[in-house]
This record gives sequence, C-alpha cells and structure tokens, in this order.
Amino acid sequence: MAVSEQAQPVSGAVKGRQRRAREEELLVWPDLVFIEFIAAVLFTITLAILAVMVDAVLLDRANPAVTPNPSKAPWYFLNLQELLLHMHPALAGVIVPTVALIALGAIPYFDTSNEGQGEWLSTPRAWPNLIVGSIVGFVGTMLLIFYDASSHVRLYEWIANPGTSKFLSNGDLNPSFNGWPESLAFLKSLRSIETELNWPDALTSIPVGEKILRTDLLGLPAIPLEINVAKVIVEQIIPVSTMIGLPILLSIVAWKVGLAQTKRDHMILQFSGFIAVFVILTIVGTFFRGEGLELVPYTIYSHG
Amino acid sequence: MATGEQPPGQTLGDRLYDFAFKNRVWKSIFRSGYPNTPRNQMLAVATNVFLHLHPTRIHRTHVKITHTFCLGGLSFFLFLGLTITGVLLMFYYVPSIERAYGDILRLETDVRFGQLLRNLHRWMAHGMVLTVLMHMMRVFYTGAYKPPREFNWVVGVVLLVLTLLLSFTGYLLPWDQLALWAITVGTNMVGSAPILGEPNRFVLVGGFQVGQAALIRFYTLHVIALPLIAAIFMAVHFWRIRRDGGLARPL
Repeated sequence: MAVSEQAQPVSGAVKGRQRRAREEELLVWPDLVFIEFIAAVLFTITLAILAVMVDAVLLDRANPAVTPNPSKAPWYFLNLQELLLHMHPALAGVIVPTVALIALGAIPYFDTSNEGQGEWLSTPRAWPNLIVGSIVGFVGTMLLIFYDASSHVRLYEWIANPGTSKFLSNGDLNPSFNGWPESLAFLKSLRSIETELNWPDALTSIPVGEKILRTDLLGLPAIPLEINVAKVIVEQIIPVSTMIGLPILLSIVAWKVGLAQTKRDHMILQFSGFIAVFVILTIVGTFFRGEGLELVPYTIYSHG
Repeated sequence: MATGEQPPGQTLGDRLYDFAFKNRVWKSIFRSGYPNTPRNQMLAVATNVFLHLHPTRIHRTHVKITHTFCLGGLSFFLFLGLTITGVLLMFYYVPSIERAYGDILRLETDVRFGQLLRNLHRWMAHGMVLTVLMHMMRVFYTGAYKPPREFNWVVGVVLLVLTLLLSFTGYLLPWDQLALWAITVGTNMVGSAPILGEPNRFVLVGGFQVGQAALIRFYTLHVIALPLIAAIFMAVHFWRIRRDGGLARPL
C-alpha cells in the first residue's frame, strides 16, 4: 500500500496525505517484528511465572442449594452489580450498560474533528481535562456510594457524640446519644426517600392496569400494573437524572471556566470521567462489598 | 546443488549459507531470500501471510513502545495463547454437571502440568480483558478513533463486548460455587431487562436456573461460537487498520 502511495504524483489535490520522507520510515522486518517478538517473549515469561506462583481459584463443587454470601459476578461485571444496589435492576443490569456501549461506539461520530490525532493527549487542554474528569468521576462516585451506605449518618453521629457509644453496656440504646435528626430521616440514604417520608397511598399504588391502561376493554387480558411513585422516584428518576445530569453539569462547568472548549476537550473530560466511574465501581464491587453486599473490605481468597 | 554458479574463492560460511537458504525446499516455502537486504526484508513481510498484516515500511514514531504499549498486539497474542491453552484444556474436560468439577480436580492433580495449564488460561483471560480495556484507552487518548478510523473504533467496541462474553462464558465451566453463582448473578442481570429480559435469560440459561442446559450452552459458546465471531471481527479490525492507513499520525 505504501508503495502505491509513493508512486502517486504529489499534486495539490492530494495534499491531505503527504509523501512520507524515506528517512522517517523503518522497515517492518526487522524493526517492528523484533519488538513484537520481544513483547511476546516477555509476556510469555511473565504469564508463566504468574501461573506457577498463583493458582486459579477453585471453590467447592457447584451446589444450587447453597447460596454463598456474598454471591458475586465476574470482576468485570461487578461495576454493574454495584450499580444494582443503587437503582432498579433493569436500569443497572441492562439499560445502563447498553447505553454506555452505544455511547462509547458513537464517540467518533460526535468528535469528528481531526485535531489531536496520533499523539498522546496532544491537544492544548487535554491533560487538565483528563485529570479533572478522572477526579470528579472518582470522587463523585465514591461520595454517592458513601451517601447510599449512610456513611454521612455515621460520620455525623461520630462527630456529635465524642466518646459516647450508641448502645449502653446492657445493649439498650443510649438515651444521651445524639442521633441523626428525625426530621432529616429521609436523607439517610437514597432508599429512605421512599421509606422515611409519608407518601400518601394514592401515590404509592396507582392502579395503572385497572384504571388507565384498560386492555380488558379491547378484549385482552388486564395488565396487573401498579405504580408506586415513591419507588419510581428512588429507583429510576433519581438514578437516571444523576447519571445524565452530573456529566452534563460537569461539561457545562468545564465549558464556563474555559477548561473544555472544543469537542475533543469535552470528549476527554467525559471519557476520563467514565473510565474513573467504571474503575471505582469495579474496585468497590470487588474489594468492598462483603456479606449482604455491605460496604466492608472483602477478599474472595479469605475462605480458601 | 548450485555450486557450479558460485564464483571462485567462497568461504565455508558462504557455502553453508547457500546450502541452507538457496535450496529448492527453502525457496518453495519462502519466496524471498534470507532477509538480510532491504529488498528481501520487505519481501519477507509482503510474501508471508501472517506478517503481511503489517505494511512493509512504517513511520519511525510507530515503533516507539510508549506510543501504543503494544496493547492491541498483546490482546491478540493473549487470544492466541488462550486458544492454544483452551484446546489443551478441552482434552481433559467434559461439559456435564456430573463430570465437570471432577475433571477440573483431576486436571489439577493427575494431569502433568494440568494446574499450570489451567492457571495460564485463567490469567491470560483476565489479562486479555485488561489489555483490551487499556487498548481502548490508548486509542482514545491518542485520538486514533478520528476520521477515517471511526468504524474501526466501533469494531473495537464490539470486540470488547466479545472479550467480556468469552470470559463470562468460560467462568461457568469449572462448575464450582464461584462459577455457578457468578453466572446466576450475571444472568439474573440479563433477566431484569424490561419485556425481553426474562425470555433472553431463559434462552441463555436454557431453563429457569443454571444447570446442565446452561453448562452445555456456555461451553459451546465459549469454545466455538464466540471465538469464531471474535476471529471474524478481529480480521475486520486488522484489515481496517491497514486500509485506513496504519496507525494514526499527527496531521
């Protein structure tokens, strides 16, 4: 292919692809083939050493009657399993990964400019965008996880009660203990918006199947569908607006302060944020979800 | 055989060289001469079905390790390694819920280098997920998805999904508690999709819970269907790299 390029006359019409200077080129054999060979040898050795030193895990024979606690998906799906704890399962298990993959595939069709090609982070604000995107994604996700694990409640109670414990020695609740204020109980975690507020019955069970979607009038079977507004808000509306709203907010702020000016800047910002979120969700799902998927340190090798 | 054509005054080295690389057998396999001249070096690449994935000449910045960290190539290398270790593992493994776990135990204790084989396969599988993810990050941060390479990025995303599916289907095969429950959790996620989720889960698992039907389905997907599909997409991926002008370069 390169040969035919060389043969073409260089005219103004094909200025886009300039003739390569001979002295800037190397022969694939030996210069590239040698590097590939060395890389393959190094990786073979590294993997062999790893395989000799660390055995692949094998637990007891599969037993459908005994559910391990916690049950975990393979590590690269633990980010989704982590999401599952905070939102509707259809959202976390299917819709979010599908949308994420489509968005990933669509990157080149959004960012159609030619700038920054073929060199690491070569556009002017690439590094600041990478760093800001990563930190915001990482810290933001961690804060959201801590919020849903009621860590702020424990932090408040720890600060408000220096030296006193929540329970007396006989196991009763300590009466002088300053707990999280009752009026703010709905802010204990995401779920408490549903459980701690007094939602009227008219909103927690809207009989959509019986009253609105009257399929029985068409001679079809009735749909047994009841909508709980509180549940929908907690499991769907808040997570979706968080996952869409926060990245948009980040982009707007970055644009206003002049951090992200071009499409490539926004792409780097968003992609770095996405990678950071992916990584932190995977880490939390792998190493910090123990029994009952509580937020505690965990390692699978501990029991075997 | 070609001694008659040789000029007089040859050293022993020259004679051995001619004997090794200028005989009919060698020339029938490798059309070009020994790659010690630029012409032969280019021919060595262009006339070899495996090496001709490459162009004959490349820009000097492309062989800098820090430009690519070899991540795409390493992903392919791991795929090949997984194929080899995978074929060997298939000798010892029967995908039946009665036998599978015992086969793994026998592999680890009775088969010479069996444990090593299984370890290699496992670490290569984890490694491939990592290198594919890192390759994606490399391509993004070097802006290598930009025109005319948009579609190859999409092919790459498909290959990422296929890598995850390959790893996921392999996860069930040892038939231990880790495998069973990881796949149960994973397939339940599929089942949670609106409307089509439960039917999809049923087809994937071949029943209401992960059992014999799921094992044989995952096995078949893992050892033949997904590797074939991945190989096809890889062929497209590599071919497009050449078609789109090799690695991206600054304008």
